[in-house]
Amino acid sequence: MFGALEIVAYVVAAAVAVYGIVTTLRNRPPDRTHRLAVGAFEAVLVIQAVIAAVQVFGGVTLPEQTTFLIYLLVSVCVMPIALQFATAEPTRWGGTVIAVGAIGTGVAVWRLHGLWVAGV
Amino acid sequence: MSETGGSAQPRPTSSGPGRVLVAVYAIFALSATARALVQIVGRFSEAPVAYLLSLLAGVVYILATIGLAGRKPLHRRLAWAAVGFELAGVLIVGTLTVIDAGDFPDDTVWSFFGRGYGFIPLVLPFVGLWWLRRTRLPEP
Repeated sequence: MFGALEIVAYVVAAAVAVYGIVTTLRNRPPDRTHRLAVGAFEAVLVIQAVIAAVQVFGGVTLPEQTTFLIYLLVSVCVMPIALQFATAEPTRWGGTVIAVGAIGTGVAVWRLHGLWVAGV
Repeated sequence: MSETGGSAQPRPTSSGPGRVLVAVYAIFALSATARALVQIVGRFSEAPVAYLLSLLAGVVYILATIGLAGRKPLHRRLAWAAVGFELAGVLIVGTLTVIDAGDFPDDTVWSFFGRGYGFIPLVLPFVGLWWLRRTRLPEP
C-alpha cells in the first residue's frame, strides 16, 4: 500500500500547499485551478484509503488498528472541508486555507505510514 | 462596516487572514481530540492523567475554533477564554515536562511546548490573542 502512491500523495500535497500560498501572495482568490488541484489530491487520498481499508478489513492486522482507521478517515475528510471554507469567502486568504489543509493532510498520511510500518 | 456612530462593532475574527487561523485551529481541534479519544478508548489505564489532559487540550481547541469562527459577541468571549486557557496550558504543561516534575505526562499536544507538533501549539495562542486584540475595533 504505502509505496509509490504515498510519494505521490506527498508531492501533490506539497504542490497544492505551495500553489495556495503563491496565490495568496499574488492577491488572488481561490479559483477553478484550486478546485482541480484539490480534486486531484483528494483522488489520490481516496484511492490510498480504499486500498488500505481493503487490506485492513481483508486480514492485515495492525497494532493500532482503530487509530489507523481514524487517521484514514481524517485523511480523506480534511481537503473537501478546507476547500469549502476557503471558497466561502473569496479573498486572497483562501489559498492559504487550502495550504493549511494540504499540510495537515500530509502529516496525517505520514502518521498513517508510521502506523502501517509498525504492523507489517 | 459602517462608520456612523453607535455601530463600533468588532471585526469578525473569521474574516480575511483570520480564516487561516480558524483553519489551523480546526486542524488542531481534530487531531488533538482524535488522538485523545484513541488513547482513552484504547489504553486509558496506562496514563490516565496524560490522556485526560489530551482530551482537555482537544476540547480547548474545539472551543477556540468555534469562538474564532463565530461572529457573535459571545463567540469572541469564548475565543478569549479558550485561547487564554490554551496559552496557560501549553506554558504550564510545557514547563512541567521540561523540568520533569514527577511523572508528568510526555504524551499530550502541549508536552515539551508542543515539540511533537513543530512547536505550533506554543506559537498558536500568541497569534490567537494578537488577532483577537487586533480585530477588537472596526477597520479604520
